Amino acid sequence: MSRFFATGSDSESEESSSADEITPKAPGATFKQSLLLSDDEEDTKRVVRSAKDKRFEELTNLIKTIRNAMKIRDMSKCLEEFEQLCRAFLKSKNIVDKEGVPPFYIRLLADLEDYLNQLWEDKEGKKKMNKNNAKALSTLRQKIRKYNRDFESEIAAYKENPQESADEEEEEKEPEDSGSSSDSEGEVSSKSFLKKKPEAPSEATKFLKSAKGSGDESSSSDEDDDDDDDEDWGSDQSGSSGETSDKEEGKTSSMSMLFLKKSQDTEKPGVRKEERKKKLKQKERIEEEAEEEGGEEAGGGWEKVKGGVPLVKEKPKMFAKGTEINTAVVVKKLNEILQARGKKGTDRAAQIELFHALAAIAAENNLGQGILVKIKFNIIASLYDYNPNLAAFMKPDMWKKCLDCIDELLDILFEHNNIFIGENIAEDSENLAVSDQPFRVRGCILTLVERMDEEFTKIMQNTDPHSQEYVDNLKDEGRVCGIVDRLLTYMENKGSTEEICRVYLRRIMHTYYKFDYKAHRRSLGLQGETKSEQDQEESEGEDSAVIMDRLCKFIYAKDRTDRIRTCAILCHIYHHALHSRWYQARDLMLMSHLQDNIQHADPPVQILYNRTMVQLGICAFRQGMIKDAHNALLDIQSSGRAKELLGQGLLMRNMQERNAEQEKIEKRRQVPFHMHINLELLECVYLVSAMLLEIPYMAAHEFDARRRMISKQFHHQLRVGERQPLLGPPESMREHVVAASKAMKMGDWRTCHSFIINEKMNSKVWDLFPEAQRVREMLVRKIQEESLRTYLFTYSSVYDSISMATLSEMFELEMPTVHSIISKMIINEELMASLDQPTQTVVMHRTEPTSLQNMALQLAEKLGNLVENNERVFDLKQGVYGGYFNRDQKGGYQQKQSYQRDQKSYQQKQSGYQRGGYRNQNQGNY
Amino acid sequence: MASRKESSSVSSTAMASTGGTLDSPVKQIQIEGLVVLKIIKHYQEEGQGSEVVQGVLLGLVVDDRLEITNCFPFPQHTEDDADFDEVQYQMEMMRSLRHVNIDHLHVGWYQSTYYGSFVSRALLDSQFSYQHAIEESVVLIYDPIKTAQGSLSLKAYRLTPKLMEICKEKDFTPEGLKKANIGFEQMFEEVPIVIKNSHLINVLMWELEDKSTVADKHELLNLSSSNHLEKSLQLLMDRVDDMSQDIVKYNTYSRNLSKQQQQKHQYLQRRQQENAQRQSRGEPPLPEEDISKLFKPPQPPPRMDTLLIAGQINNYCQNVKEFTSQNLGKLFMAEALQGHN
Repeated sequence: MSRFFATGSDSESEESSSADEITPKAPGATFKQSLLLSDDEEDTKRVVRSAKDKRFEELTNLIKTIRNAMKIRDMSKCLEEFEQLCRAFLKSKNIVDKEGVPPFYIRLLADLEDYLNQLWEDKEGKKKMNKNNAKALSTLRQKIRKYNRDFESEIAAYKENPQESADEEEEEKEPEDSGSSSDSEGEVSSKSFLKKKPEAPSEATKFLKSAKGSGDESSSSDEDDDDDDDEDWGSDQSGSSGETSDKEEGKTSSMSMLFLKKSQDTEKPGVRKEERKKKLKQKERIEEEAEEEGGEEAGGGWEKVKGGVPLVKEKPKMFAKGTEINTAVVVKKLNEILQARGKKGTDRAAQIELFHALAAIAAENNLGQGILVKIKFNIIASLYDYNPNLAAFMKPDMWKKCLDCIDELLDILFEHNNIFIGENIAEDSENLAVSDQPFRVRGCILTLVERMDEEFTKIMQNTDPHSQEYVDNLKDEGRVCGIVDRLLTYMENKGSTEEICRVYLRRIMHTYYKFDYKAHRRSLGLQGETKSEQDQEESEGEDSAVIMDRLCKFIYAKDRTDRIRTCAILCHIYHHALHSRWYQARDLMLMSHLQDNIQHADPPVQILYNRTMVQLGICAFRQGMIKDAHNALLDIQSSGRAKELLGQGLLMRNMQERNAEQEKIEKRRQVPFHMHINLELLECVYLVSAMLLEIPYMAAHEFDARRRMISKQFHHQLRVGERQPLLGPPESMREHVVAASKAMKMGDWRTCHSFIINEKMNSKVWDLFPEAQRVREMLVRKIQEESLRTYLFTYSSVYDSISMATLSEMFELEMPTVHSIISKMIINEELMASLDQPTQTVVMHRTEPTSLQNMALQLAEKLGNLVENNERVFDLKQGVYGGYFNRDQKGGYQQKQSYQRDQKSYQQKQSGYQRGGYRNQNQGNY
Repeated sequence: MASRKESSSVSSTAMASTGGTLDSPVKQIQIEGLVVLKIIKHYQEEGQGSEVVQGVLLGLVVDDRLEITNCFPFPQHTEDDADFDEVQYQMEMMRSLRHVNIDHLHVGWYQSTYYGSFVSRALLDSQFSYQHAIEESVVLIYDPIKTAQGSLSLKAYRLTPKLMEICKEKDFTPEGLKKANIGFEQMFEEVPIVIKNSHLINVLMWELEDKSTVADKHELLNLSSSNHLEKSLQLLMDRVDDMSQDIVKYNTYSRNLSKQQQQKHQYLQRRQQENAQRQSRGEPPLPEEDISKLFKPPQPPPRMDTLLIAGQINNYCQNVKEFTSQNLGKLFMAEALQGHN
């Protein structure tokens, strides 16, 4: 605001009479000073932009100061600044060469020269000047004459048509200057009609405040609008004079505003009111906005004068009423608003409002979809920008707005087939105006949707998962999916392969973790009569499996970035696993070879991988593949950091291991709650698998000194259970499993069963499976089988023979099953027994070594080691002496070698535990 | 009767090992039955499991025969009386015994054992100090477990003069032991034992034998063997492990040694060559440096422990052999009996 005023007054001094110059001088000087200050401040705070913007900004700043100096007739300052300006201009030569000499620069040169000439002629004034100033004046005059010779043609052009050059180019360059010209476009037109009519009515009817403001402000009263791109409307009104109106008219007609202007000419106030009312009806927001702007502007100006408070932020301004609105104008306006983006003082909320208003105006004036799309893009972008912090998440209303906007944008895109959008369309090759050519708009809807998806994740991450709010937020998932779906259809028609891959991945990401209940029902053949209408409608859709399959296969075939494919594979496997398609899932996992190189992937992909492995394990468990389940879960569970590995929460750790920054990053990686895998279920599945594997193994290898643990964690739980001084009935899931393991150790499957499957465990774990009953049946079966094995391992030494019928009765298994289990054990040489077919009994062979024999075997082994070690000592001696002193003792050496050969055979024999061989060898050794 | 049986069994073992004791002051040990009973009683009262009881033997030397006529136990150590003065206690005990006119000459000590494991550094050290101070000292090893199986096991050991030499010099390096040419067989010498009772006691025994009914328990005929064997094997295995470790240590040492030797050799050769060159050029030869400073020989591992372990292993093996041969005999006997019935 301050600058409008400043520049306004400078132009005034130049063109209009300088009669009352003296009067404003005193008050003006002081407030200008403060204004200057505020300008500087603002400039320094500005965010760095492109080189061009930066340079031009520098220039405009200098120009500003020069103009100020001109106004107070401070020649020395003028001179100083001018020299600086020349230098700055030289510096930006590169850009100037590219862009052409900026018109504002030319304008200044022209104005300055005029001004100097004027001063020069004013002998009286010159006399009044102090010495310094007078000297500076003459120097400056000479300088500028010389300097201007280089720009003669431009200056001439400018002088011929000052408005045009101002209008056409100024807008594009000047906006940097923090809004001083932001409303220039509007002004031109507003001026054009304002000037036609007397001031009084306009002041009366509208903008009382601004009128008051300008009234108070004596200096602005003689403002001129001639060249003035930078004046504002309020000052315009008050400072009007007839002089420029003619010029204006000519110009405006060229801008094809004739009709509008004319009509307004005749009945200005009325039209305006009407217009306002119309707007009010259509969009209250815009109306408010406009009013606010107007008010703010005027008020701002007014405040300025009085208090000299620096107004840091930009004033949002919409078009002046009655401006003819066309594409170019809107684009310009849009750019203006965009310029403010990212600056410190910019009010982001206001900006969004501005965009909305602009969109409404564009729509109202039927500027075509191109511009609308463009504006929508910007609205969404600025919605995303609303939060300066990456960690912060959108507020609900913002989020709603964002969804709406994207929806609308997609609507438009769907309706109008002739709109081309893309990130690679350059700013200048855009085609926004309505014409025969299809619209070309810069912007990427895909990126916006991806960003939206991320925002959604962020919102979910930051909502308390146990609150109603979370549920409410989660309801938006449907909309998000809808948008992704629509985008997908759109992209399938328009997008490139990569884009399709990306949008497919989004779709996959929203699908893979959801259990497809309708497909499940359908597969069970339950669908039909009982379902409500809505349900039926729902089940019309494609099975998620089919969708996943289609999307993933496309990605496998087309994707060229490794990451998308990896994610797609993992999601696919996850989805398979979730729906109990174990073999497909496993095959895909094995074929992808992800296990080998997943450690090179980035953390989010690794988290996805972990989730997939876990889901795979759980799937294997449901299918009764206990061993596979155990293997799949081992990595995650053995670390004891399952929570962290699955991205479902942070572990408590001290700050040394993780500083605040890392914690933030980790927090951002967390998976939203609704996608979590139940950790207790996971642990239970793991422990039960471990139990089913470990207990028979332990029973089988009771005396084996080299027995290995299958599952460390399971053993840990067992030990914890043993350490308990007083063993009560099991409470937690772990205690249940431990108690069950103890029962199984004794081969007591009934107790084991009752510990694993009961009310508590059902509610805690088993009911979480989609096919709970089937899983439970599987589990009972497994418990029976493994208990039988354990029983045979543990107690086989007690029996001479045992009837299979008894066993089958004891473990409630059918005879063939018992038969097959025992046969398997015999074949694997786990059980030294044979089956007696006629009597259906198992006859034990008693070949298991007794503990004494075991001991002896161990001792033999140890002695073997001892001998070996001894040999080495001997070896060394032989080697050293043979090599050093007694070279002729080769014989001995060779003997030793042959001996070593013996040794090998000895070891073989020993491994067969043939004592005879051992003894022989021993004798041979010594 | 018991004592007679004992004496016969003990003397049989004693006979076997008389050969090794030539130039030692003690060639035979005669133990009073009282001493044997006191030792057994001491273990039964205080020792349990693998815990070891010890005591002092009193007696006198007659020609080349050591007569042990009395003994008294060392009190069991507890944490409370850490400042308990053993020497003081011994002196006082002996003085008191002297007052009642009992032999008070210190002639050695006794110790119980667990499955025959007694060959240890502690035993070696204390026996050495005994033998160093009192030439005729012996150590009596009492094996309560074997005794419980039906045959008294009491053995007397002395350090061989060779081992005494080594212990005096405290040279336990491989070289030292090599020079002394000592193996685990030559570390201890067993002295034959004879148990002697007064005639009165013998008479009493005969009388008692007549009066007493046949004992119900025949531990001697117990056929079960695995428990004892398992224990022995377990201990044997532990020792073998220790032995393996020692060997590995020794192996590393000798490898280092030879490596260093090689380096030394190379260094010397180089030095020689250089000197030769310098001489040809007329320069003075390089000054001789202390090679031992340049190449510090690696610390040799003490070999005494290895020797002791070997001795212990030997001991175990003997035990097992003895036990199994006895057991086999019993088994054959039992089989024959079974067949007869």
